[in-house]
Amino acid sequence: MVPSLTTHRSLASLRDFFSTERILICFNGPISRTLISEIGAALKEHIESTRDCMTAAMDVFSVYIEMSQNIRHYSAARGYVEPEATATVVIAESGDGHYFVFAGNVVELEDGKALLERVEHLASLDKPQLKALYKEQLRQPRVEGAATGAGLGLIEVARKSSAPLQCSLDVLAAGRAFFTLRATI
Amino acid sequence: MTQSSGQTSTQGSNLDLPATQATPAVQADWNAGFLLMAGESYPENTYEIFDDIISWVEAYLTGTDRPLHMELRLNYLNTSSIRAMIDIFDRLQNAADAGRELSVNWLYDSRNPRSAELGEEFKEDYDFDFVISAVGD
Repeated sequence: MVPSLTTHRSLASLRDFFSTERILICFNGPISRTLISEIGAALKEHIESTRDCMTAAMDVFSVYIEMSQNIRHYSAARGYVEPEATATVVIAESGDGHYFVFAGNVVELEDGKALLERVEHLASLDKPQLKALYKEQLRQPRVEGAATGAGLGLIEVARKSSAPLQCSLDVLAAGRAFFTLRATI
Repeated sequence: MTQSSGQTSTQGSNLDLPATQATPAVQADWNAGFLLMAGESYPENTYEIFDDIISWVEAYLTGTDRPLHMELRLNYLNTSSIRAMIDIFDRLQNAADAGRELSVNWLYDSRNPRSAELGEEFKEDYDFDFVISAVGD
């Protein structure tokens, strides 16, 4: 565990933690549209510079963008202000050539439960099934400000992933929960 | 950032929007019947850029009976931009069904096969002229 950041020693342990976990970029706090773009551009550039082909960079970028924008849309639809309207995003290397994209945010407990079901359903589908669902959803009328959001974007995240999506829900006070989604690219 | 969202294109007008970090460069030339989009598109709200493009396409398709050629050099689209592109392609398909001459030229960076796949997934839903080719080394 990382000790309190009141001493300079604790920053060193935080750094050790990031290194051990192969974390490329992490963010915790209120996330603006500008910040999403800036972090995304830096991330893409970094991954591209380490590879001959842009595929990995584009897939990680795409998953990161959909997850971050889902969180922004959800917070706006629910009328959240800080501290609820924040996101926790972590992008890490797996060590075997893959990447992990984690994104978490505070949600209404009921929305969180519905999301868990939706993610578990997506995780059970193979690539052709995901493509069929994607094409179907693409043609659905848009629901502006839909509270659960996470329609097409979540399918896209599942399609770009090389392993089934994983998610969890940590129950908080006042009918809320912290939802975490993990994609492996 | 966005300079002219929500405007309605008038007959005979051109578009010339510079690329931003999350929106592509757009050039629409009425007299040439040519629309170019180049870059990446992932704005949080797609109307910021696509309202202008869609209203230009509508104005052109209703205001002339000349051909329309689109050149798309799009490295990445988020899902909202993909939906907005479909709004454009649906209008093209309707015009093609009514006998209009149309073409889409999808150009992708040869190092970015994901852009080629994106183009393929659009192409399979339409039957107007839709050519996908690689550029670069």
